[in-house]
Amino acid sequence: MNLTPEQQDLGRRTFLKVLSGTPALAALGASALLKGPVRGGPVRIGFIGVGAQGRVLLGANDPAYGTVKALCDVNPGQLQKADAVLAQNNQPPARHYTDWKQMLEKEDLEGVVMAVPLWMHAPIAIGCLEAGKHVLCEKMMAWDTEQCEKMRQAAAKTGRVLEIGYQRYYNPMYQAAYDGIIRTGALGEVYHARLVWHRNGNWRRQGEPPSPDYDPSPWGYPSFDHLLNWRLYWRYSKGLLAELGSHHVNVSNWFFGATPEAVSAAGGVYRFKDGREVYDHVYATFEYPGGRTAVFSSIESNAFDDYYEMFLGTKGTLILKRETEAYLFEEGGEHKATAVEVAAKAAGPALQASESRAVDAAPKAASAAQTVVERRSASRNELSRFCSAVRVGQATACGPDRALSSARACLLANEAIEKKARLTV
Amino acid sequence: MSRHPVDDLSGPQQLTLVLLRTLIGWHFLYEGYFKWLQPAWSRAGTPLPHWTSAGYLKAASGPLAGLWHGLAGSSWLPTVDMAVAIGLTLVGLSLLLGLATDAGCVGALALLAVFYLSSIPTHGVHEPGSEGAYLLVNKNLVEAAAVAVLLVFRTGRLAGLDRLWQRPASPALKEATA
Repeated sequence: MNLTPEQQDLGRRTFLKVLSGTPALAALGASALLKGPVRGGPVRIGFIGVGAQGRVLLGANDPAYGTVKALCDVNPGQLQKADAVLAQNNQPPARHYTDWKQMLEKEDLEGVVMAVPLWMHAPIAIGCLEAGKHVLCEKMMAWDTEQCEKMRQAAAKTGRVLEIGYQRYYNPMYQAAYDGIIRTGALGEVYHARLVWHRNGNWRRQGEPPSPDYDPSPWGYPSFDHLLNWRLYWRYSKGLLAELGSHHVNVSNWFFGATPEAVSAAGGVYRFKDGREVYDHVYATFEYPGGRTAVFSSIESNAFDDYYEMFLGTKGTLILKRETEAYLFEEGGEHKATAVEVAAKAAGPALQASESRAVDAAPKAASAAQTVVERRSASRNELSRFCSAVRVGQATACGPDRALSSARACLLANEAIEKKARLTV
Repeated sequence: MSRHPVDDLSGPQQLTLVLLRTLIGWHFLYEGYFKWLQPAWSRAGTPLPHWTSAGYLKAASGPLAGLWHGLAGSSWLPTVDMAVAIGLTLVGLSLLLGLATDAGCVGALALLAVFYLSSIPTHGVHEPGSEGAYLLVNKNLVEAAAVAVLLVFRTGRLAGLDRLWQRPASPALKEATA
């Protein structure tokens, strides 16, 4: 799905025009009731797992909302990089731990932000909840539905906040699209959503161990490669559907106001036969009540389509791309456009492709021209809302129920691939 | 205890005076409490900016301006902040409970006088952070006048904990004042 600059301009203007006529909630929390203030300073937070995603969240912390007291990671190299993130944001250094249990014992924390490999979500989140900490856990919720259920039960039993990190809920563009376009029925009847996350790469990370004698086996990883590339092995990961697809399925659940009833899927390790276990190509069809269907594809052999959610209604098409761009096309309008038609109408596939590559080569320049929202703002809102939930009990957007619904569907899709079957939820 | 003219006030007159004292007491008490509460968050989930008198002192004008400007940048600032919070809270409790009411009224007048003299509205235009336009008379001055009314009417005698310390007038005194 690639749009010409004219179509992008039209789509973006239509999106913003429709929103301008509605009381869209661009600012999260604006509708909260005003009551007396609550005593307390910034929430005392510990981070468990400060790899790439953990550091994104660390960098998104607003010191007025949260004070980072401690960092925990089994890889000392990551802790040093996390220090740099804190320093870069003019935040004081935090104490280091390799054992999260020790961190909980020694630190007076209120909340924990977790970005660890998927298989560790449930044990650590449940341990933190039972220690009385509030938890913001990166997506997907857990490695299987049983663990998800246990996390939900632990949150209910302890009465602590458990939020799963689907940052689109905190992205003002998604919130505005939902309030101003989906809920108002601007798209008409929506029977189909297209969920795409296409990349052209092997998803394998390169890196050196923190020291030549570094041994990750005490944490369950037989080699440094398993720790670094945990996403590629079933023991720790649930592959593309968990890491990418669950973001999309959360959006389709949200916008459809429902959860899938059945899933059929295909996939496999087709391109990168390098010892990995998780599929490098995945295609899944999620069937929702009322004849609505969301089709997800994630491939690692072509990045032309990039990543987006597209909702195709009887009156219009909504496209939310790269978490920062939004387009709305009225059905039957002058610039009637779907992904297929755009490709077909383009002056030439080569030209379209070269534009796409140019965009890839200069993402900053492209985003400056096309984005309607800053990507970083979503994570910042997410973390701030978590702190607000801890301090004043404000509701969060993606608690255990919502997160479990999307996790269940994505896990079922993996199962459907394995069994080559259509499975009902 | 001698009979005071305030004892002859009608019911509605007494009621409105006590109501006035209660409202002013609450106003002081909450201002003091809010400063004690810091750091704090709004219920809407936003951390509130930390309160300090520094901004007020720096912006002060009038006869006390020089003193306040010096204090704003000095190491005394935390002491000033605490003194303001304590003063407001004590005055608020006094007026609300009718306890040491006369002293509370004097304290309120002193605080309001300082606030007024530090920022006398001489321009007659909307100032930033103000909801109205004032020339010479602002809400601090009006509240000070209202506190003066509370003081001279000895409202602690009407209602409040001060009455616990009032001894009933002796029959002889009653007769003498009848």
